Amino acid sequence: MKPLNVLVIDNEDVICDACHLVLGEKGHAVDYCKTGKSGLWALERESYDLLLLDMKLPDMDGMQILKGLKERKARPRVIVMTGYSTLANAVQAMKLGAVDYLSKPFTDDELVEAVEKAFAKA
Amino acid sequence: MTSSTSFESYFHVIRDIIGAMHSLTSLQDVLDVVVTKSTDALDAKGALLRILNRETERFEVRAAAGLGERYLNKGPVTTEKILADLSEPGEVYIITDIWNAPRIEYPQQTWDEGIRMLLDVPLAIDEHVTGILRIYLAEQRALSDAEIDFIKTVAMQCACVIERVRLMENRQSDFDHLATQVEKGTSLGRMAAGIAHEINNPLAGILLYSSNLSKKVPKGGPLEEGLKIIIKETQRCKTIIQGLLDFAREQEPERFLSNVNDIMNSAIGIVENEFHLRQVRIRKNLALDMSETLLDRNRIEQVFINLLLNALHAVDDNGQVRVESSLDKERKRVCVEIFDNGCGISAENMEKLFEPFFSTKSNGTGLGLAVSYGIVKNHKGDIRVWSEPGRGSRFTVEFPILADESSSEARK
Repeated sequence: MKPLNVLVIDNEDVICDACHLVLGEKGHAVDYCKTGKSGLWALERESYDLLLLDMKLPDMDGMQILKGLKERKARPRVIVMTGYSTLANAVQAMKLGAVDYLSKPFTDDELVEAVEKAFAKA
Repeated sequence: MTSSTSFESYFHVIRDIIGAMHSLTSLQDVLDVVVTKSTDALDAKGALLRILNRETERFEVRAAAGLGERYLNKGPVTTEKILADLSEPGEVYIITDIWNAPRIEYPQQTWDEGIRMLLDVPLAIDEHVTGILRIYLAEQRALSDAEIDFIKTVAMQCACVIERVRLMENRQSDFDHLATQVEKGTSLGRMAAGIAHEINNPLAGILLYSSNLSKKVPKGGPLEEGLKIIIKETQRCKTIIQGLLDFAREQEPERFLSNVNDIMNSAIGIVENEFHLRQVRIRKNLALDMSETLLDRNRIEQVFINLLLNALHAVDDNGQVRVESSLDKERKRVCVEIFDNGCGISAENMEKLFEPFFSTKSNGTGLGLAVSYGIVKNHKGDIRVWSEPGRGSRFTVEFPILADESSSEARK
């Protein structure tokens, strides 16, 4: 697949680094932000193909970012990540435009597969 | 005694017994009153009261009056003989031939004790014998109708007390059990979401790095092997936490009118292969007249799968698992039972059975039954277990028959 411009929003360093490593090895360019606010700034500045979004951020709820994105014309595809997965909030995230859902913890293969699937659907 | 004084004396005894019943004293106090007062009223030598212990199915001496230590120490009667002869619970059995009566196990001791006549009075509720009152007389004599009536009345009252105490004790233990479950549920519920979030994040780091690294080390070497173990164990932690969340989640189930038979069939379909591999047969006997009730199909299916897999775990190869369903029209409940002829559950484990994290499987999370319990309670149902080590277990799941209110309102 063609190289993607990816943004990770997660307050955990280790997860940002790991996503950077795994997706970087697949040839994608990966940026990351550790708060919702800085994430929104980055989304303003850059145009990303893909957003990996943690649902629980220190300063805001991942759902808020999804809602904000919904109003934009050009927006990245979103894969939601969460440590507290319930069917209900997966459905809610999908309604707000997320294309997939990864429940933590997940393997590198699951991450890569989710990314490929998100763009195969096009 | 003249008939009027005897009436008075019997009346006083009955009044004392009923008084003891209502004064909220212990069962023992009531039984003591019964043996002493019946001895006095009949001018007898003594009396002995035995109550059926439902666990051992033996009659145990619970109260005695007027009898010598030596006689009591003999363990006066065997239970089986008495039970076999008590075909008419409402009757009073009069024994005069001490030397030849099959109900007297120690005739010599009985004779030596100065006993010449015995009365056996079964204490029964709904034809079911729960105890026996035996009255010992020092001389043989005819009993008046009033005396027989008196004994029968005492026996009836006494049986009612025993039954009432038993029911109260059962209620108390059900209540205690429920109270601890509720307590566990709320504190666990609050903790679970926090634990899930705090632990799943570091696990995500471990899993991403270890799975990524496992592709970069030499194939088949010790590094790859170690990393695979780390991956597997991390995924196990994920399963445990997911189970904990399922257990702690307090949301209302999504219920639709369903037939438990259909849910059971689909649960069996899911586990069939595992049963087949172990060569364990599932015998089904599902009620044909089953009523639909409001159930969350997915969750109830999860409960049935848990119970079926537990049954499979309990039996040896070629063991048997039986599934039955029934409809209790009177109590308006549907009932599903899962039997196995496996290893059974020890009394010690029985107490912990529904506790989270209690497991006898080496790789179990200890959440299967805890989660099942929560799901069934959430449906206002009941889950009960009977088990005997070495013989097997039976899990009973019951749900009230509930109509679909939303659709009936829509029809209005």
